[in-house]
Amino acid sequence: MKKQNEKIFTILALIVLGILVYLAENNLDAYKLRILNLSAIYVTLGVSLNLIYGFTGQFSLGHAGFMAIGAYVTTLLVLPPYYKEMIFILEPLVWPFTVMKAPFIVALLLSGLLSALVAILIGLPVLRLRGDYLGIATLGFAEIVRIIANNIPQVTNGALGVKGIPEFSNLWWTVGVAVFTIYIIKGLINSSFGRALMAIRENEIAAEVIGVSLTYHKVMSFAISAFFAGVAGGLFACLLTTIDPKAFMFVMTFNILIVVVLGGLGSITGTVFAAFLFNFSLEYLRPIEAGFNIGPIVIPSIPGLRMVTFSALLLIVILYMKNGLMGGIEFSWKGLARFIRKIFPNKKSSEGSVM
Amino acid sequence: MEILMELLNADNITMKFGGLTAVSNFKLKISPGELVGLIGPNGAGKTTIFNMITGIYTPTINKIYFQDRDITGIKPDKIAKAGIARTFQNIRLLENLTVIDNVMIGFHLHLKSNLASAILKFPNYVREEESIYHKSIELLEKVELEKFKQEKAGSLPYGQQRKLEIVRALATGPKLLLLDEPAAGMNPQETKELMSFIQKIQNDFDLTIFLIEHDMKVVMGICRRILVMDYGVTIAEGNPAEIQNNPEVIKAYLGVDAIYA
Repeated sequence: MKKQNEKIFTILALIVLGILVYLAENNLDAYKLRILNLSAIYVTLGVSLNLIYGFTGQFSLGHAGFMAIGAYVTTLLVLPPYYKEMIFILEPLVWPFTVMKAPFIVALLLSGLLSALVAILIGLPVLRLRGDYLGIATLGFAEIVRIIANNIPQVTNGALGVKGIPEFSNLWWTVGVAVFTIYIIKGLINSSFGRALMAIRENEIAAEVIGVSLTYHKVMSFAISAFFAGVAGGLFACLLTTIDPKAFMFVMTFNILIVVVLGGLGSITGTVFAAFLFNFSLEYLRPIEAGFNIGPIVIPSIPGLRMVTFSALLLIVILYMKNGLMGGIEFSWKGLARFIRKIFPNKKSSEGSVM
Repeated sequence: MEILMELLNADNITMKFGGLTAVSNFKLKISPGELVGLIGPNGAGKTTIFNMITGIYTPTINKIYFQDRDITGIKPDKIAKAGIARTFQNIRLLENLTVIDNVMIGFHLHLKSNLASAILKFPNYVREEESIYHKSIELLEKVELEKFKQEKAGSLPYGQQRKLEIVRALATGPKLLLLDEPAAGMNPQETKELMSFIQKIQNDFDLTIFLIEHDMKVVMGICRRILVMDYGVTIAEGNPAEIQNNPEVIKAYLGVDAIYA
């Protein structure tokens, strides 16, 4: 298939996606829309975590921290000033947050930029660590962010959280950001920069003696990853319309990690697939928590059984499907054409020549 | 008359790990175009010397100069940029990447495009990628690995992996090439090919080569100057004939009694 055709197909796919989003926005109820929105936000989160963990090989557990930064920045920027005065009851909000106001898109961008800036500051010392040690350090960072948010009520309203955030996030925003994230990160990993990141993942010492600067590439990858996590945090805040520090506990990072591992490290298609699978199953598995019968055996209602199911699924994937649920296959038009030809060998042979 | 400058000058360097002195007072000057060998029993400190030259370790005492520039304590990627490339005793390929990617990454330090043009695939970036792709293919053709270009590097046979690692080092455009036991694990036929291969690349790429090797046939066959180390100390230096008859060397390799036997 020619490059030109691939571009046309991509544009067509985007138009179809746009129509689907339009139909969903107008026809689905709030419950289903919420699941779709969350899925799209998880795509952004998952793909960005995959950049630092799956492609660069740096085990980062700091995503909840970057999300929190993004969520609070967006919140403070989109809330109307008079409303801020009303809800900050523990301690009054300090200047300049009282008067700051920005359009949603600017708020999202600033959320991402601040997250990226923090990532650079944290990354410079922390990315010298490797493997589990890096994981623990970044996890520590995320917890620090959460605890700080808990303890500066003059900015975050402390443990009370912020309520009544304008519900700006809709499918146009969440899906749009997800598509943008995929576009940027896919472009990144298919470039010479991405090759350097994968070289670091494969063998740090080899990469270094070839001339790949470890610090630069690791920190850049970390910062770009944090940028999208911050933007996703902003979308998240404006979707739930209420945030508090508890929303950004380790469980949040763990959920994203499940998505990335289920989808396959270093697989963007897998991450997208897993993000939707995760959020939909999380809802559709609700009945099992209510208790059910298997023949004569009565299973009582156990809250949290859904997560047990996921843990079991995760174990199976880690043990038997090292490349994730998609088997490490990356979507491409070429691959799709090959797949279609394999299923319909006769019918598609003529169309194959067109492509 | 051209003034001969030393390419590499290790000026009495010492490397200590806590209380252990891995290398002490190592002295070496290499002139452009030389092919120098370094031998010694296991644990003599040979690879430590390579690690100091390539910046993975920083010598505890004294300095290393490359083209009269002090490179002590500089990061490995900067040293690669200065013109020193190496291979490893235990091959370090990017195993899950393709053969061609392994070579293309070698050109990394010569890339000029920035991050934004790489993401958005600007024409200057695309042109640069095409140019390093063709250069990589050319390199692979030289070592007859071109047919494996889309294979994963880790799936190549052992001997080919060694060659690929050398090709990757060549892609960085080095002036000095360090080879750490290039013949390790090769059969006699492969070893023979390797010897001519090393001499060939030295001529073709105008290289200076410094190699560690256990296979005496290789060292004695292609190196005109050889250093022998034992327990971190240089015990002999000279041409192959001198080394073969040096009592210190025989003692290090065969034990004390061998001399009197």
